[in-house]
Amino acid sequence: MHDTKLSIGGCYSLLLILAATIGLIEYGGLIAQPGSLLLTLTFWGSIIQGAVAVAAVTALVRAQWIASLRRELLALYPLLLLLALLFALLWPQLDLFPWSDHPTIWLNRPFFMGRNLVSLLLTFLAGRQLALHSTSGAPFKDRYAVIYLATFVLSQSLLGFDWLMSAAFPWISTMFGLYFFTEALYAGIAVSGLAMLLYFRPRMQTAPKDTVRHLRDVGLLLFGFSILWAGLFFAQFLLIWYANLPEEVHFVTERLASFPERELCWLFLLGLFLVPFVALLGSQAKGDLRFVSAVSLLVLSGLFAERLFILLPAIPYHGGALLLYNGLIFVMLLLVLHSSERLLPSASFLTKD
Amino acid sequence: MQNTSSTEQIEQDVLAAMSRPSRCYLACIFLAGLVFLGGMALWSRQIALGMGVAGISHPVGWGVYITDFVFWVGIAHSGTLISAVLYIFRARFRTSFNRAAEAMTIFALMVAGLFPLIHLGRVWLAYFLFPYPNQRQLWVNFRSPLVWDVFAVSTYMLVSLVFFFVGLVPDLAIVARRRPGFIGKIYRLASLGWVGNSQQWRHYTKLYFFLAAFATPLVASVHSIVSWDFAVSIVPGWHTTIFAPYFVAGAILSGTAMVITLVIPMRRLLRLETYIPISHIESIAKILLLTSLIVGFAYVVEQGLAFYSGNLYEMEQFRFRALGDYRLLFWIMVSCNAILPLTLFVGRLRRNLAYLFILSLLVNVGMWLERFVIVVTSLARDFDPYAWGNYTPSFTEIGITAGSFGLFFLLFLLFIKILPVLSITELKER
Repeated sequence: MHDTKLSIGGCYSLLLILAATIGLIEYGGLIAQPGSLLLTLTFWGSIIQGAVAVAAVTALVRAQWIASLRRELLALYPLLLLLALLFALLWPQLDLFPWSDHPTIWLNRPFFMGRNLVSLLLTFLAGRQLALHSTSGAPFKDRYAVIYLATFVLSQSLLGFDWLMSAAFPWISTMFGLYFFTEALYAGIAVSGLAMLLYFRPRMQTAPKDTVRHLRDVGLLLFGFSILWAGLFFAQFLLIWYANLPEEVHFVTERLASFPERELCWLFLLGLFLVPFVALLGSQAKGDLRFVSAVSLLVLSGLFAERLFILLPAIPYHGGALLLYNGLIFVMLLLVLHSSERLLPSASFLTKD
Repeated sequence: MQNTSSTEQIEQDVLAAMSRPSRCYLACIFLAGLVFLGGMALWSRQIALGMGVAGISHPVGWGVYITDFVFWVGIAHSGTLISAVLYIFRARFRTSFNRAAEAMTIFALMVAGLFPLIHLGRVWLAYFLFPYPNQRQLWVNFRSPLVWDVFAVSTYMLVSLVFFFVGLVPDLAIVARRRPGFIGKIYRLASLGWVGNSQQWRHYTKLYFFLAAFATPLVASVHSIVSWDFAVSIVPGWHTTIFAPYFVAGAILSGTAMVITLVIPMRRLLRLETYIPISHIESIAKILLLTSLIVGFAYVVEQGLAFYSGNLYEMEQFRFRALGDYRLLFWIMVSCNAILPLTLFVGRLRRNLAYLFILSLLVNVGMWLERFVIVVTSLARDFDPYAWGNYTPSFTEIGITAGSFGLFFLLFLLFIKILPVLSITELKER
């Protein structure tokens, strides 16, 4: 079995090759429009950081449900480096942002690149320390979980304010930072649901009772986060709609008046709230592996639709490149999940708490 | 007191708190009652003389009374958080605090409910706040968040009361069993015929979980709506999308601080050290730290984005808060709510009860000031410099505020002698 699993060296090599491939496509004259890289980054930035953050939060609160999955989620830490590598490739594309012609103290090229790169690298280092200390056999070090979460909040806030909000500069929403790190945690739980499918489906009938209970907890958390997400979404856009200020409301009206943003809006409302809420309302659904994993996939699709909804009017993109980048990173994620036992060995204690 | 798992011992220890009151307790009751009566006297004076005795005037039409309303609604939040949310998350440490926190919720809501009435001036016209058919040629504005507030706070009050009472039922039956005579009969009546058979437990567990699940989104909705009292306006400093989660986090911060303020002395005076271990207090201190981090994050985001936006009015508002006439209050607020709680990263301090008690008092001071800064500074520096003006609370407003604290502590002191301060049945399970 081990020959199909990545070693840590092989994993980093593959990440470099992946980043180089994307760089080649972006700058090798293969595509005319830039923007697909930024869209891809905003999507996977939340998923990868969110998955590791879920492992960190659950370690701090001593949650039981994570025991079946902690190794898989923590094993995703090398992908945090991929985010930094891909972000570095954005440097020549900063013209995409409307502020690039009129730089300000906060929004100017060197500072923008510098602070985001530093935060992404810090998140990778903190995630790595968290994962390695979880598998060292020593007592779990809560402080690494705290450090990771601090860098996670910083990175996700920058993702919200810098990567997404500044594409519509000077439009602002103070909710963006908090909204996106909450959404990243939601995405992390959805990754847990998918990992359940990949790991436990073949042996669900013979899985220990704990694993079945853990699946129910994943379903419950998805349900809870769908309500939380809807609350934040409502709290944000209610105020914009209510005040009806021209400098604020145009962000929504522009998007709702054109194709495909209007349709994307329905898609992410369905994927992030309506379907998870209705589908997981019953207790039986929360314990059904196929149901929970289908909802997880829908949540991730909703997240992707939301990123498109926010960025499409401001950022050009190449459909083929967008599909290719996301496909490649998805395959990489599956490979890393598949290789988790090899990437994080001697983790027997992980399942004990 | 010995650490025993005996259910008999648990009942004895918890119900001992309801025994004959000590002199110290009576002195506390007297003091709280006196402060409350002082506040009532000042309110009566305000009713007799009119709103001129309060400091609120143009342009600051919302002052200390609205600050007090938001503060007490915030305090009311933690009861449901600790009790319902932690119940759903199966957090064991909840048993040390849930009863006191739920009682605190009820009392804080009762106190909060007074302030819109006090602020009205002509309190006999309070029914205008409620939606009613338009025989009086008046139809309330359903688009106003002030009307949403009436629904939100009253729903929260109702659900919190039911949740509190349902949680009490098995304990009331225990009190009834141990109390002879007429008083015992009253407790028996209140326990609704509870005998503790398996059928009753099955229904009880289902209902309690349902109420917990129902109350949890209410926690978020109530304070979100309170935040929209401000945020739906276009006043600089108020109209900001982060207000709802920021108010909710702030409410949980202040409520958690109040729980610590109440439980630490209660634990010592009622000799409940065995049932409220330091490890549980440390857990609640972590919630204080977490919510303080969220509040600190909101402070940074609000200030930062005001300058990021380049909006002149927003920039002036946040400059005024940090450097203007109310700067002292602003910096005390920041220190108490976002800087001092960072010391809780040190495990030794989280377990130091004296330190935690002092910190909880400071956080409550900080949270009251936060509401004051939000309410007053935005009104004092609106769009038009011609209409700018500062506000200083009058003696009447300060006295009524003190009176509200008197009422709150009076009600809490009465609670600890009338009802079990810890959930006996849950302690037995633990």
